[in-house]
Amino acid sequence: MISKESIVYSLRNLIQRKSRSFLTILSIFVGIITIFIFISFGLGLINYIESLKTESTVDKINIQPKGVGPPGLDDTFALSEEDLEAVDKTSGVIEASGVYFKPAEVRKNKELRFVWAISYDPEKPLVIEMFGTKIAKGRELRSGDSGKAVLGYNYLLKDKIFSEQSDINDRIELNGKELKIVGFFDAVGNPQDDSNIYITHDDFLEIYRGNSTGFNWIIAEVDSERIEEIIEKVEDSVRKSRNLEKGKEDFFVQSFEDLLEQFNRILLFIVVFVIAIALVSVLVSAVNTANTMVTSTLERKKEIGVMKAIGAKNSEVVKIFLFESAFLGLVAGVLGVIFGFFISYAGAEFLKRAGYGFLNPNFSPILFIGLILFAGVTGAISGTWPALRASKTRPTDALRYE
Amino acid sequence: MAKGKREVIRLEGVKKYYFMGENIVKAVDGVDMVINHGDFVAIMGPSGSGKSTTMNLVGSLDLPTDGEIYLDGHNIARLSESSLAQIRGKKIGFIFQSFNLIPNLTAKENIMLPMLFQGLRIDERELKAEKLLELVELTDRKNHYPNQLSGGQQQRVAIARALANDPDVILADEPTGNLDTKTGEKVMNFLEEFNRKGKTIIMVTHDPELAKEHAKIVYWMKDGKIEKTTKTKKAR
Repeated sequence: MISKESIVYSLRNLIQRKSRSFLTILSIFVGIITIFIFISFGLGLINYIESLKTESTVDKINIQPKGVGPPGLDDTFALSEEDLEAVDKTSGVIEASGVYFKPAEVRKNKELRFVWAISYDPEKPLVIEMFGTKIAKGRELRSGDSGKAVLGYNYLLKDKIFSEQSDINDRIELNGKELKIVGFFDAVGNPQDDSNIYITHDDFLEIYRGNSTGFNWIIAEVDSERIEEIIEKVEDSVRKSRNLEKGKEDFFVQSFEDLLEQFNRILLFIVVFVIAIALVSVLVSAVNTANTMVTSTLERKKEIGVMKAIGAKNSEVVKIFLFESAFLGLVAGVLGVIFGFFISYAGAEFLKRAGYGFLNPNFSPILFIGLILFAGVTGAISGTWPALRASKTRPTDALRYE
Repeated sequence: MAKGKREVIRLEGVKKYYFMGENIVKAVDGVDMVINHGDFVAIMGPSGSGKSTTMNLVGSLDLPTDGEIYLDGHNIARLSESSLAQIRGKKIGFIFQSFNLIPNLTAKENIMLPMLFQGLRIDERELKAEKLLELVELTDRKNHYPNQLSGGQQQRVAIARALANDPDVILADEPTGNLDTKTGEKVMNFLEEFNRKGKTIIMVTHDPELAKEHAKIVYWMKDGKIEKTTKTKKAR
């Protein structure tokens, strides 16, 4: 039975062996903190990706050239106007729009920065729908706009991209061409997308004269009910338009959902992998706890003998030591989640200021309770063998032990 | 069996051998003993005579290699560890030479411990412990830890602890061994008083004077056997 005396007895023993208890707690604590931080950020990221699956994204598919390098940097392949037309004409496709993007140097008041220039058809702003962002200030691009640009959110901030915050009607120079700012998009949540500069196709082709071989992306809005079937049809159409045999495509078609799923799978794998490493540290601390408990039972061998002499059953002795090791685990668990929370919280604030607002940890109550229990159970399991061993001590042997 | 006397402990051909490689150490080698309710028995003998082993067997702290041990008519020689613990806790109180109090428990908590193992409620445990502290004249020391108590005080706490579950039998292993004469005398007076109140006392000692002065029956042991049994003037 867990009684006042046995709890008091256990706590006094743990306090008496302060430094050892402290080190044991510390070793479990480190593992718990690590797991807390990785799970909270991992869950946050997975939630973020889930949140991208909105109504405006479930019906989007994109067609990309299978380049060697990252899209936009590799011009070996690109998609042509004919490919776009072929996509557009495929049954099930509601509309399709080509997107160009390339690295750009942008200059404002003698400050030079390298960002991404993206162009799209203002009549079909599918790429903006996919980013899930809206105009925060000013207006969107209109067809026929020339020398106009809409900028990502970070240009609205001071000391982010440029030292001064930008405003409507400010001028910037993109690869030497002067552009007038007409609007700003809301934050997407990652520093790259929030630094983009959006222009029309005409301006883009003028700036990158002769340097662009075609679209880097074709985005299509389709009937989301039949998305798998349409992907196959689009693949067919583009293959025909590019005169390619099946299996030798230089492009690929993917739904946005699939892309997110793929991200999520990779993410989950990384999170699980990192947690597995953290679990190794917990395993080491479990061995350490077991060692602490073995030492403790040896030191108290005589006390165990006395307790058995005055009527303690084996199970009573087991309970005392199990309680002690579980208690060490619980304390480590509580401290671990508290410190883990503050570190994650502070880390998220820091990342947010650095522009990585999408790296937002998720503090689910299950995470707190689960990890505290996990630490307690780990402690209890570590103490099981030493406790069982101690309980089997013969009273006469124990009483003789000095 | 003497008329009107109830038998508490009976040992029949009890042997305890230790096997050390090729050698057999015959710590107890065929002991027969009957102890009646209300007896004050001393087991005497030089060190190595087997007296402490005998006491451990009587107190069910150890199991015999051979022979039978009856406690209140029940054979305890073949019981499981947990049943032994339960019986021990209820029927036997132990007093050790080195007191053996739990260092991290106060005097009162030490006394409460055996009752805890018998499943008594916390209020019952507290009440009984207070009474026992009063009995051994240590009420003012109840919240002291063993290392804050003198040897004599510690032994009195141990006595109170031995009485916690109101056992029939008190086993005392050299109870005055670590105490000066005066303090030892006080401890012995307590034991005698409990004996007068009906407790059976079995004391192991190597001091013949102590045995003769306080016990009623003395078993003289040598080489694991009972050499002789004598009755002291107290028995009359």
